[in-house]
Amino acid sequence: MKEPIIIIKNLSHIYQTNQSGPLQKAALLDINLEIAQGSCVGIIGITGSGKSTLVQHFNGLLRPTSGTIIVNGIDVKAKDADLALLRQHVGMLFQFPESQLFERTVYADVAFGPQRMKLARHEIRTRVLNALDMVGLPHREFAQRPPFELSGGQMRRVALAGVLAMSPAILVLDEPTVGLDAEGRTEFYSYLQRIKQEKDVTIVLVSHDMAEVATLADWLFVLHDGHMVMQGTPRSIYSQGDALRKWGLAAPPLSELLTLLRKKGLAISRDVFTLDEAFSLLQQSRVLRGSRP
Amino acid sequence: MNQSPLIDIQHINYTYPARNSRTGELQPITALEDVSLQVQQGEYLVLLGHNGSGKSTLARNCNALLTPTSGRVLVAGLDTSEKANQRTIRDMVGMIFQNPDNQIIATVVEDDIAWALTMRGIPLSLIKERVSSAMEAVSIAHLRSLPPHRLSGGQRQRLAIAGVLALRPQCIIADEPTAQLDPLSRGEIVSLLHQLNQQHGITIIQVTHLLEEAALAQRIIVMEQGKLVMEGKPASIFANLEQLRQLKLAIPEPIELAARLRNVGIPLSPEALTVEAIAQEIMP
Repeated sequence: MKEPIIIIKNLSHIYQTNQSGPLQKAALLDINLEIAQGSCVGIIGITGSGKSTLVQHFNGLLRPTSGTIIVNGIDVKAKDADLALLRQHVGMLFQFPESQLFERTVYADVAFGPQRMKLARHEIRTRVLNALDMVGLPHREFAQRPPFELSGGQMRRVALAGVLAMSPAILVLDEPTVGLDAEGRTEFYSYLQRIKQEKDVTIVLVSHDMAEVATLADWLFVLHDGHMVMQGTPRSIYSQGDALRKWGLAAPPLSELLTLLRKKGLAISRDVFTLDEAFSLLQQSRVLRGSRP
Repeated sequence: MNQSPLIDIQHINYTYPARNSRTGELQPITALEDVSLQVQQGEYLVLLGHNGSGKSTLARNCNALLTPTSGRVLVAGLDTSEKANQRTIRDMVGMIFQNPDNQIIATVVEDDIAWALTMRGIPLSLIKERVSSAMEAVSIAHLRSLPPHRLSGGQRQRLAIAGVLALRPQCIIADEPTAQLDPLSRGEIVSLLHQLNQQHGITIIQVTHLLEEAALAQRIIVMEQGKLVMEGKPASIFANLEQLRQLKLAIPEPIELAARLRNVGIPLSPEALTVEAIAQEIMP
C-alpha cells in the first residue's frame, strides 16, 4: 500500500450555535481514516450522515473541532495552514456543479482555475484542451461553445474539466451524478474511470448510491450519524446486506440477490461479486442443473 | 374491459416552440407524435423511457397540465382541451413530481394536506376526516404536527401523495417520484403506490427510467422520441433486453443474470423480475 495522502485522526466536528446546550450538533465524531495515494475511495451514507461535512475538511472549507487531518502534507487545522495551496492540491466538485459555470465559452470556464494559478498562457491552453478531451468534450467541437447550451451531463463534465485543469493531487466529487439519467451517469463514470487510469490522482467519491461507486472504488467508508460504522473493500461491504440496511443503505441489487441465495443455502463464496463471476458460478451449479433435468 | 377507459388518448401530437441555439429562430419541437393510449380504471401503468423520450410530456397530457396540439385526450369522457373541464379533470387525476417541495406549501404537515380541500370550500368536519385518512394511507399520521422541512425526502414525498389523496382522485400520476430519494426510500415509495392501487383501487401512472421500478406494473409503455415503441406486461418487455439497452435504459444486474442463465438452458420463469422472485426461482 502506498503512503496515505490523507490521514485523519480522532476528528470531530461540532456545529457551534450561539447558545450552548442542545443546539450544539455533533456532525462528525471521532473519525479515523487513511486514504492511500492514487486510490479511489467511496464515502457512503444516507442524507445527514456527515459525508459532505467530512469531505469539506479535505480542502479546509471546514476545520475540525478536535483531532487532526493531514492532507498531502498540509496540517489543515494549523493556524498558518496555506489554504490556497491546499485548494490547489484538492480539487472539489460539488453537487450540481453545473450551477457554478459562469463564463461565456467552455474554454473560458475551464481556464478560470489555471488562470488564478498564474500559469503561463501556453500552459493554461494545454491544460484546458487536455482536460476537455479527458472528459469527452473534444475541444475542437466544444471549446468555443457557450456552456449553457450543453446538456446537463455535458455541463457537469465541463465543471469536472475545470477542476482537472488545476491538476489536483486529490479529486473530491460530492454526489457527482445526482439528477443525471442512466446514460448521463454511465458516461460520467466512464470518463471518471479513464481519469483514474490515466492520471496520477487520488479520487474521493461521495454518494448514497452503492451501485454507483461499485465499479470505481477500491475502498469504502460508511458513515452514519457522524460515526464511521464500516469500512472495507466493496466486496466485503456489499456482502453485508443486513448491516447496510441498518444504516439505511441498500447493497447493489446483484449483491442483494447473492445475499438472498446464500441465505437460502446456496454455497456462494464471498469473493463472488461481479455479474460475470455470479454467472459462471451459477451456470455450473449442481443445484440448478440437478433440480431441473 | 367493456367499460370505457378512464383516460383515452386519441392520436395526439404535442409540439412546442424552442429557440435554435445557432440561428436564434423559433422552431417547433415535436415532443409527442401520434400517440394513442387507453388507461383503464384501476390499472397500474408504467411509462418507461430515458430523459427526453417524451414520457413526462405524455403524463402531463393525462390531466390537462398540457393539452395536445392535435388529437384529443378524454378523462372519464371529458375533453382536456375544454377549459371548463380542467378543474374537474385535475381533481380526478392528481399528480406528484420529482421534487415534493414544489407542491408542499403549508408550514405544518396536516395543514398542507388540508390546503386543497379548504380551497374547495369543503366543510371542516369532512376536511378533518379526509386529512386523517390520507395521512393513514401513506403512514405519516405520527408526523401530523411537524413542519415539512423536518421530514426526510421520502416522508416529504409521502406528504405530497397525501395532499393529492385527500382530493379522492381516481388516478395518480407519479412523475419520477423517486428520482431524488435514496435507494431504500425509493423502494418504499414504489410499494406505497402499489398499495394505493391494490387497497384503494386508485389507477396509477408511474413515470420512470428505472427498469427495476417497472417490474411490478400491470402494463409497461416504453417511449422513445415522442412515440410509443413497446407495450406489454413486464415479462414480455423484459424479455427483450437488447432492445431496452438500445433505448438507453440501464438493465439491472439481477435481470441480466437471469437472462444469461436462461440462455444457457436454466429454465427461470420470465415472470421473475425482482431480486426476490429471481432468488426464489434459482433456489425454490
